[in-house]
Amino acid sequence: MKTLWTEMSVEIEKQKKLTGSLIIKMTQANYKNKINKILIPEATGSIICFASLVFILINIQKLNNWYLLTCGIISVIILFVLPILSIKAVRRMMSVNILNNDLKRSLLEYSKSKKQFVSVQKLNFYLGAILMLTTLPVTAQIIGETDLFIKTRLWLWYAIAFPFFYGITKWVFKSYNKTSTAAENILKELDS
Amino acid sequence: MQNKAAFIAIIQENEGLIYKVAKVYTDSKEDEEDLYQEIVYQLWRSFPSFRNDAKVSTWMYRIALNTAITHLNKIKKKGDHVPISEAHLNTTDTNDILKEERIEILYTQIKKLDTVEKGIILLYLEGKTYDEIAGITGFTATNVGTRLGRIKQKIISQIN
Repeated sequence: MKTLWTEMSVEIEKQKKLTGSLIIKMTQANYKNKINKILIPEATGSIICFASLVFILINIQKLNNWYLLTCGIISVIILFVLPILSIKAVRRMMSVNILNNDLKRSLLEYSKSKKQFVSVQKLNFYLGAILMLTTLPVTAQIIGETDLFIKTRLWLWYAIAFPFFYGITKWVFKSYNKTSTAAENILKELDS
Repeated sequence: MQNKAAFIAIIQENEGLIYKVAKVYTDSKEDEEDLYQEIVYQLWRSFPSFRNDAKVSTWMYRIALNTAITHLNKIKKKGDHVPISEAHLNTTDTNDILKEERIEILYTQIKKLDTVEKGIILLYLEGKTYDEIAGITGFTATNVGTRLGRIKQKIISQIN
């Protein structure tokens, strides 16, 4: 095995080298990727949540009965909490000290943060679903001055939709649980 | 400017190391190129703090392996991507088809190992001592020896 590997390594060393400009291009391309793929979506999501929160707060006096007011308050709380949870979880995963840790420590930190990320994703899923339920009547009241609970028997539709939501949750959580189990297995392996 | 030139020289000197780590930890050419690029980027980030008191290869392995494990399961990026194939990425290009097949079999068996095992066997095949492997991975030298024994058994039973 070692001999074959050494022979292969010798062949690799003979191959053409990367140019200096390509190497520098790689460092710059990846830096831009991180800005575009992580920071911008995070910022955009947070801005949308914050704008929605402000919109509801400004118009809260239009929620003229207890159940609409309750939906409004729940919506505001979730719109405040959701981006904070997501950003914290993503940041934790990105904060693994690649540059100074050894492999074991990096793997430990990464697996723990991955487990936490999955828990946050699950919580976000539930919060997102609740937010959908609460913002619908709130938005209808604020924009159209229509009480959907009275006009469309919204309660009934929510009750009918619940089993479907339960099924979707199980399906979505399957992959979350897979990720969490994989991270857990890595942690156990490091302990052995 | 001096920093850039020194960094480029180190990368060019050790391209094969980066290629091997990227190949072992990914399953597709696209992921391999992504990881390759990510490793170069992380090495660049770390370069200012590299003090030359450790061996260059030790420093590079540590960063490369750490990058590989945190790169696991990431959603494929569709951003700026430097096509490495343009630069004739190091691939074994022997005329010996049998040897190439054997190399591919070896890579396939290594890829079946778990994250930690891949790192350890890679360092072992690269000629690192148990102490050096321990230094890079954070395990004790004794632990490295035990794990290596298990890994070799695993590869043998996978092949059989």
